[in-house]
Amino acid sequence: MNTPSTSPYVTLISSDGFEFIVSRDAACVAGTIKKMLDPQSAGVVLEKVCEYLYYNLKHKDAKDVPDMEIPPELCLELLMAADYLHV
Amino acid sequence: MYALIAANNRIRGPQSALTDFLASNNISAAQITADYDRRQREARQREQEEAAANGEAIEQQQEEDEERAEIEAAAQKKKRKRQQETALTKVKEGKAKKKQKKRKGDDSDGGDSDVTWDMYTKKKPLPGQLENCEECDKRFTVTPYSKTGPEGGLLCVKCSKEQTAQEKKNQKAKKPAVSRDKRRQVQSNLLDGIVQIGAKSLQDICIKEVANNILDIDEFGDLPQELLNPLSQILSRRRAITSRTLDLFLRSDLDTIDLYDCGKLETEDYIRIFSVVSNIRNLNLRNAGQFKDEVIDYIIERSIPIKTLQLEAANLVSNDKWTQFFMNCGEPLEFLKLTWLDYSMDDDAFSHLIRYCPNLTRLKLKKCFRLTDAALSAIKDLKQLERLSLRFPTPTSSDALAELISKIGPNLRTLSLENFTDADDDVLSTIHTSCTQLSKLRFTENDYCTDAGFVGLFTEWSNPPLAFIDLSSNRSVDYSMPDGPEVPTGLASAGFEALMEHSGARLEHLDISSCRHITYETFSNIFDGKNQYPFLKDINISFLTKIDTAIAAGMFRSCPELIKVTAFGCFNVIDVAVPKGVALIGVPNAQDSIVQEGDVDADLF
Repeated sequence: MNTPSTSPYVTLISSDGFEFIVSRDAACVAGTIKKMLDPQSAGVVLEKVCEYLYYNLKHKDAKDVPDMEIPPELCLELLMAADYLHV
Repeated sequence: MYALIAANNRIRGPQSALTDFLASNNISAAQITADYDRRQREARQREQEEAAANGEAIEQQQEEDEERAEIEAAAQKKKRKRQQETALTKVKEGKAKKKQKKRKGDDSDGGDSDVTWDMYTKKKPLPGQLENCEECDKRFTVTPYSKTGPEGGLLCVKCSKEQTAQEKKNQKAKKPAVSRDKRRQVQSNLLDGIVQIGAKSLQDICIKEVANNILDIDEFGDLPQELLNPLSQILSRRRAITSRTLDLFLRSDLDTIDLYDCGKLETEDYIRIFSVVSNIRNLNLRNAGQFKDEVIDYIIERSIPIKTLQLEAANLVSNDKWTQFFMNCGEPLEFLKLTWLDYSMDDDAFSHLIRYCPNLTRLKLKKCFRLTDAALSAIKDLKQLERLSLRFPTPTSSDALAELISKIGPNLRTLSLENFTDADDDVLSTIHTSCTQLSKLRFTENDYCTDAGFVGLFTEWSNPPLAFIDLSSNRSVDYSMPDGPEVPTGLASAGFEALMEHSGARLEHLDISSCRHITYETFSNIFDGKNQYPFLKDINISFLTKIDTAIAAGMFRSCPELIKVTAFGCFNVIDVAVPKGVALIGVPNAQDSIVQEGDVDADLF
């Protein structure tokens, strides 16, 4: 999935190692793939997701955990990412 | 001796160290007091003169007066300040000495030293006088609201404001340190049955953040349908569903709208829902007071095929409009829930519902004041009905209810009958014979059915074990007999045992609150810690005052999947060890509940 966003093709790799190079337009028909390739889900959002993953691990068994700070401008994008990632 | 005393002719009380010190330095306390009084008098006099001058309202003179007063005041102030400073240094020295003396144990302190000390502290000008601001040295008129600066002097209006702002800022900064809000939140969550262990999910945090910033959001983008529902819930709870926020939920690609508090929406807003979301199939509007005839007209005009309609408090729709609606839009309706219609729908309009909505599989009616036995009997013509939920405010006859159940019972999956106060054991036996595929049964607020009736219902019932049973408030309400009548009324011991015998293996939700005739022995037999109810998650034992700590502990052992126990008014449950992840609600306990770590079986008894 790490093809640069400019390339018209993307490479799909199966779990047993097969690689398929398909056009970006075709791949994006699949909603999940489209979301993965969406340039929106870039740095800032992913950074926050990673922060959450560690925050979650840190407070695994704690009670009354304070909510993680979320910048208001990111909350919608982060919500979409959270929904996609099931976290 | 006598002569000597007579010569002095003065009786003296104990003298303070300060007075001694001042006397030795040739400073008389009496003289200072007299000077102080005189200065005070002069200041007052001057003020009065000034006031008089103001009264004459000759501006020029007033200015002159003020100037003179200013000059005088300034000169006096300088002089006074000098005097004060010298006096202060001396007094300070004296105080230091006094402290040393005090430490040695010489404690002959008179009250007069405090008075003297008050006189030497920086004298505050009286309101109306002029003063230089301590912070910015600007000259200003002293008012009763002038603030004291950090050095003890007064501040001008501007600096006073700045100081107040700073104080507020500091207070705000301190607030998060106070945990009362958090504690309150924890208790509030507990009442909702939420015991959070570990962090909230990122989705929940984000949804909360979105709700917090709802006014800054222009659109939700292509947020999935299943995320709109929790957002709607949280916004409804905050009463934040308005004309503006409603727009966020309206998207032409959706087919479902759930709004749990429409109290702030106007009739035009409801029409907008249907014009924007033209494919709407499932509509759930609570507290929809302004959902009126015009909205129904619009739905009929566009012939929108609504499948699920839940309306609460739409009590301004006329009978004729209901009839028209059912005639035009009844066919596709599969689920209809009408609650709190008050006087909006009568038996006649209801008969049209039955006639024109043949495909209804779920019907829920609550608090529709004008529906009577006729409406109750009419429901039997809904052949597809699988889920029925009724609460009639008007008294209905037991026979009509029994007849209805005998007709539609075989097809029913869920049956909820609330507050049918006149229903008797016949209704229970009809449920026993007719209903064979129920998974949920609610039969509440009745003092007519007997324990034998409930035993008959659950004994050898061909219906498979139920997942949800609510038999709350089935009890005698004659409080002259606190233990109930001879023949047990309502759900008592035998009925409860038959219930658990029949459904215990599959039961998930159980509500037996206020069934006060169930005995202690029955509870200890049912929840003995050995009997297992493997699916029981949620149990309500409120106002069962016989339940004590031992039974509650047995309950935790018998129900390994328990997550919520509602126990209001169970005063004998004291300091019970609550397993991790279980919300015990309503037990009076100022402390946090004692949460037991690790294995449930460890140390309960």
